[in-house]
Amino acid sequence: MPKSPTMQSLLKEHWELARTLRRLEIHFDSERCRGVWQCYEVCPVGNWAPDYDRMVAIFRNGKQCIACGACILQCPERAIELRIPDA
Amino acid sequence: MATVFMKWLEMRPQNYDRGIRLLTLGRLELLQAQIVDRLVGEGMRVLEIGCGTCALAIAMAEKGAQVMAIDLSPTMLAEAERRINQVGLEERINLKLMDASLIGDQFEAGSFDLVVSSLAFSEMAPQARVYVLQECLRLLVPDGKLAILDETLPERFIARLMVGLIRLPLCLLTWFLTRTTPHHLQDFESMLSNAGFSEEVVISHLGGSLQLIIASPADKVASYMLPATVLGRLRHRTTLRTLLLDLWATFFRILPPYPKVHPGLYVVGQPDPGSPVLITGNFELTVRRLVRAIDNRMDAWVLVVDSAGINVWCAAGGGFFTAEKVIGALRVSDLEGIVGHRALILPQLCANGVDGWRIRQETGWDVNWGPVRAEDIPDYVVSGGVKTDAMRWVQFPIKDRLEMVTVTLGFYSLLILLPIAIFWRTLFWPILVSLVGLSYFYAVVLPWLPGRDGLAKSVPLTLISLVGLLVYIVFWDPLLGQHIFNWVLGLTALSVFTAAELQGMSPLMRGEQGNWGWEAVIGAALGLTYWLVPYALGWR
Repeated sequence: MPKSPTMQSLLKEHWELARTLRRLEIHFDSERCRGVWQCYEVCPVGNWAPDYDRMVAIFRNGKQCIACGACILQCPERAIELRIPDA
Repeated sequence: MATVFMKWLEMRPQNYDRGIRLLTLGRLELLQAQIVDRLVGEGMRVLEIGCGTCALAIAMAEKGAQVMAIDLSPTMLAEAERRINQVGLEERINLKLMDASLIGDQFEAGSFDLVVSSLAFSEMAPQARVYVLQECLRLLVPDGKLAILDETLPERFIARLMVGLIRLPLCLLTWFLTRTTPHHLQDFESMLSNAGFSEEVVISHLGGSLQLIIASPADKVASYMLPATVLGRLRHRTTLRTLLLDLWATFFRILPPYPKVHPGLYVVGQPDPGSPVLITGNFELTVRRLVRAIDNRMDAWVLVVDSAGINVWCAAGGGFFTAEKVIGALRVSDLEGIVGHRALILPQLCANGVDGWRIRQETGWDVNWGPVRAEDIPDYVVSGGVKTDAMRWVQFPIKDRLEMVTVTLGFYSLLILLPIAIFWRTLFWPILVSLVGLSYFYAVVLPWLPGRDGLAKSVPLTLISLVGLLVYIVFWDPLLGQHIFNWVLGLTALSVFTAAELQGMSPLMRGEQGNWGWEAVIGAALGLTYWLVPYALGWR
């Protein structure tokens, strides 16, 4: 039988989730980008912009990011990741 | 208002005519007389669908018509036979026990000059109505006529409200007696034109709730049929039901059970195979707001995907609105056989959970991420899929902020105020006023507060209250009343809480779960202060 969660473990889990969610940052590997710009299509806060000359996406402003994960899911090259900075 | 009584009356056929006369205030007879006067002539071949006790059939036969009268109810037909024998019209009226949807199997094409139906269509299922109308078209001669006399939903809202109120007790009674609910004919004009008829005369009675519609076969070119997998036409309407749903959604939107729309394919307007395909979730408010935004502005196929009754953003984030659900809905609806293109428009705000590439690879449909707001869809489609930055970036204008604050207040009031009202009644009004005041205060000033999350936005007000407390201690009363102290602590807690909750209300800030840790710390700190400071100051 799986161990039932204790109060302590639940609190710890919540704390970890909260901590993670606050610290996640976008990591963009522009080498892999082919300029499909799905990230630009789906980002609700305007973090991505198309660069039509170099046919890549430009990551504009990390502070706006709400860590919704849309750009990560829609990137066909898997060039985008959410990471905790020091990990 | 008559058909709600129908099932009940049908159990007592002898009373049927009298009951109907009473319920329609005699208007039904007037309209039936109109049919006989206007349309019936010597030697005409007439089909009556749902003849009941044959009052209309007898009147038509007396004018020389040859009537084929069908009905579902054997008791009604027995009563009809008795009456026909009484007036000696057996030669002119044929009775048949038959479901209306079988008329196509039983009669030859072009075998009638007139098809009439009195209070029968409102008893059919909506899908059956169009089918029966199409069959009627086939049975009629090219210059034949169709006369439908039935309950309709009035156009004007006040009239609709009145009819609804009058019907309510009757509906309940009918339901208790027979467990069925007849439905007004809604949007019957478009149903007629879908089946290939063009409307000629409409006579309304009782505020538009009882109508006689006379139609004739339209030119084949204009005829328009809905594909079989389409569940219906969505239209923007305000009814008593939508008002009640809006009232619920204003305060308790985030509490289950969420009002849902049956998932499946719908149409808005009169789409053709080239019209765009829009995909959305099945939260009732989502579908209704989409329809409000596009009805009368464009024709579209709307594929409502089962998102567990949750809005697209939260459903996609929570794993309820996924690529599999979209692919499944595509298969079931047979869209490939209906439209000529292969382009889907998905809501941009479901991209956090619906894998666009999976849909593209597994179905061959192209996925286009539409605008954030449904209001922008017509412009987006007209421009050929050009999405401006204003369409793709989430705004959180004052109107939305006020709406969302009201939504969460409904939830708080249950969560916080209910226990307080029961156990701590003296504090109910102060806390209610503070909660409402603070929530709307934050909703209004949100864009001008510094910081990109709800907690940071609560800092200025918290500082102001703490500075106020210090000023009070220094300049007025160094000993500080416990009353004032409790107030400042309570308001600070509420202020942090309401500001932090703002975070989850739009896709503009990270999920409010990110606040949980800090909320716990702040809560503990305030609790300790509340507990320890009175000891230090000697109040306890």
